[in-house]
Amino acid sequence: MADGADHFAAFSFVDRITEFVPARSARGVFHVPATIPAFPACLVAEAVGQLAAWVSMEHIAYRGRPVAALAGETRFLGDVAPGDVLQLAVEIDDADDDAVSYRGWADVAGERVIELNDCLGPMLPVADFDAPEALRERFFLLRGAGARPDRFRGVVAPAVAAVEHVPGKSMRATMIVPASAAFFADHFPRRPVFPATLLLDSQIRLAAALARDVLGLPEGDFPVASRMTHVKMRAFIVPGQRVDALAEVMATQGSAIRIALSARDGEGKTIATSRVEFNPPAS
Amino acid sequence: MANEITKDEINAVFPTVAETMADALGCDVDDIKLDVSLIEGLDAESIDFLDMVFRLERAFKIKIPRGKIIDNARGSLTEAEFEQKGVLTPIGLKQLRSYLSEIPTDRFADPMKVKDIPRLFTPETFCKLVVQAQREAKAAV
Repeated sequence: MADGADHFAAFSFVDRITEFVPARSARGVFHVPATIPAFPACLVAEAVGQLAAWVSMEHIAYRGRPVAALAGETRFLGDVAPGDVLQLAVEIDDADDDAVSYRGWADVAGERVIELNDCLGPMLPVADFDAPEALRERFFLLRGAGARPDRFRGVVAPAVAAVEHVPGKSMRATMIVPASAAFFADHFPRRPVFPATLLLDSQIRLAAALARDVLGLPEGDFPVASRMTHVKMRAFIVPGQRVDALAEVMATQGSAIRIALSARDGEGKTIATSRVEFNPPAS
Repeated sequence: MANEITKDEINAVFPTVAETMADALGCDVDDIKLDVSLIEGLDAESIDFLDMVFRLERAFKIKIPRGKIIDNARGSLTEAEFEQKGVLTPIGLKQLRSYLSEIPTDRFADPMKVKDIPRLFTPETFCKLVVQAQREAKAAV
């Protein structure tokens, strides 16, 4: 199942950890390959989360690894383009064998592009997901010479097909998670899980289509997600799983719009919930 | 408990607890009654408990170690006195009933599994948790 070449490559977004205060904070770097077509904001959030994961795993000697669960607020402040260099930062509020709570951000050329606040990831036994020794060795590499850049080859977002659109109110879509993909070998080698950030990326695109309709924007003009709140992941999504996504307008204020997002599995059980806010595109 | 938590103390924190819980559960604040079962009445899951505790810590600027409700409930009993192989001992069950005195007696199973304790939790349980943490923070100053 896992291709060894994809481990620490197909879905790993920290090239080097440049500063490290055990259990407290870290700074890191990720070079976005110039060869990929795009690097969505959710992957920037993933990079920040992965830096926090390294600090917390190292702190508890790789007994556990955090998984995405709660993100109180993510502020999308700027676009990241292929070829950009992300300067990553995390400040850990608390980390132990149960969970890590943190905030973090990423800058490109001195400008903030994303900010994460009030994030919490429960720790699960690391050996269920990856080889603890491999992680320990990887951390040593990241703290030293760093990993070879340009390992990431991009991800293909699952197709999201709108199945129901109530104009001005809601949009429902179904997506099928690929049964196999390179990122599953990295996320995670012993237990493939569809990354929460890729789900959120798909959901934001669905919400953007709804927001465009509500704001009356012309075809091809998409509003920009400015903030995501109340992210709560309730269950893992596995390869090949069907996910039913729903975007519903919560409120509009002037030209801004807030949309509630939810995702359910094929049996109707809620997998994830969140809220996203859009502003119209800058003219 | 030597220094019982009073109704006034609970009422003082309840409005903020209710708002915090409503935000975490995505429900109306009016749905958060002091005595509603969070799992059976409001469909809360374990991730919601984590979320609620995380939010309460920030709302009240307190620290609530994970597993604190069970620790508080256990009081001075050792773990072995409180439970054996995941099931409460008779003295453990008595202690739990005393700590969760706001919960009607018929909601306690006998025997009772430790993993089922969260089914008993109500917003009042979390109010007591907050008050206890506030007291401990004050005592530590």
